[in-house]
Amino acid sequence: MLSKILRKPQAVIGLAMMLCVLICVIFAPFLAPNDPNKLDILHKFAESSDKYPLGTDDMGRCVMSRLIFGARASMCIALPTIGALAVISTLLATLCAYTGGIIDRIFVIVSNIFMALPPFLVAMTLVGAFESKAFGISISIAAAMWVWNAQVVRTYVLREKSKPYIITCRMSGCTELRIVLKHIIPNIVPHLLVLYSTGLSSVIIMISSYAFLGLGLETGTAEWGAMLVNADKLIYSHPEMLIYPGLCILFAAAGFNLFGEALRNICDPREG
Amino acid sequence: MLTAKNVSKTYPDNTGAGMDLNAVSDVTVEIPDNSVTVIVGESGSGKSTLSRILSYIERPDIGRIFLDDTEITALRPSELRKLRGKVQLVMQDAASSLDPHLTAEKILAEPLKLLLHLDAEQRKSRISELLGVVQLPEDLLKHRVSELSGGQQKRLCIARALAAEPQHIIFDESFSGLDVTLKKQVLTMLKDLQKTLDIGMLIITHDLDTAMYMADRIYVMRLGRIIETIDHPHSFSDFKERYSQELVKAALYKRNAIQYTANGV
Repeated sequence: MLSKILRKPQAVIGLAMMLCVLICVIFAPFLAPNDPNKLDILHKFAESSDKYPLGTDDMGRCVMSRLIFGARASMCIALPTIGALAVISTLLATLCAYTGGIIDRIFVIVSNIFMALPPFLVAMTLVGAFESKAFGISISIAAAMWVWNAQVVRTYVLREKSKPYIITCRMSGCTELRIVLKHIIPNIVPHLLVLYSTGLSSVIIMISSYAFLGLGLETGTAEWGAMLVNADKLIYSHPEMLIYPGLCILFAAAGFNLFGEALRNICDPREG
Repeated sequence: MLTAKNVSKTYPDNTGAGMDLNAVSDVTVEIPDNSVTVIVGESGSGKSTLSRILSYIERPDIGRIFLDDTEITALRPSELRKLRGKVQLVMQDAASSLDPHLTAEKILAEPLKLLLHLDAEQRKSRISELLGVVQLPEDLLKHRVSELSGGQQKRLCIARALAAEPQHIIFDESFSGLDVTLKKQVLTMLKDLQKTLDIGMLIITHDLDTAMYMADRIYVMRLGRIIETIDHPHSFSDFKERYSQELVKAALYKRNAIQYTANGV
């Protein structure tokens, strides 16, 4: 598998981008040149220097340190959120689609009701209901997005379930549980990887959008979305304050997308 | 002996026009243990439905299926699973009837593990034997299904069916789409296997040449019914029913067309 990944440029680039983000998440305190929250009003909007590689913001805080810690803030919400989403959507949709009958029909009705509500509206409504902002954001995004993912997973399961190899599996003595766990899920994993890796980039963007709308983490937190909000009044005087966090969001989202797409091509035997 | 007694199967019409499809109507067939039985008929005659009923994939609406003295149609799913290995089905499209993410080795190991409960060592030696039987090289074991050729996939399907040590194997149009040389090879291999392994085979086909080459008994099926039974067929003149004779004419026409093409006419 690793050799296949290393032979595919798209996968290597995506993996490198993902690793950059993950290294920032894990080693932020060692990589950041300064304390991301330390105010230094005397040096606000400082030019790049050895001390401040990307300069300082309107409060004299080190921009580079804030970008590095921003990765931690975004990913610490995005990763558990997408994990919860993946587990809920995959289990629920697989169970309903494979069982079929009345259970599947109820699932379709419930999911149609949820799909009638715009995900961002659902998330905005829920986010305020929780005391912990990070937990609130995570739960509200999961509640808003599960149905969209579950519907896609259901389609994949229905498609696999109708394939002739399922009959062969029964002929080979597989129980229904084994067919689901050993045959259907491994065959849809390549599609799930794409779904959830692109989903991860959507979650990163959604978390930043919350901050932009004032529903994100506490004011002053080093987080990419919050940095964008703070910089909106500086668009003409210091556009780099917008460009840096914007590029970080783009970089992280593109990395996960690229890697997910490449991984699907590698894992899916039908696409060589 | 695998027996279908007065079996009928109707598929409801989903278009709302009230035109339910009687795929199989009051069919009684017997598939003896140590012989080759062939069901012939044109497309839509109910052959494949009957093969799915006989291999317990579908339940008939009316009628009963027996494997020796056991009534299959009266069994619960858990009891049915224990008998799963006794009747195996080899489908038409080998590529789509094998799990694409598995290697050939895992495909062969599954029935050995789940139906025969063999341990890893026993499975390994049995897989080697099976590959020898269907004339596949051992180095294919690590390859996924999509990496095998059409002929290799077909042989792998047959090996998987044999792995279950069945009493009967049903081939549902399994040889259509194969080129003439490969078809001859596979049919000859099956004929030898049938004799050496003492299993009953049911071949579902629309090809009378295949039927004549293989069959100890031929059932002719039309519009969901068995219209003629021929034991130990020797020539096309054994087909007496009018519809059967039309099938013979079509087969002869096809044979002549191939002859003309071969002669460059």
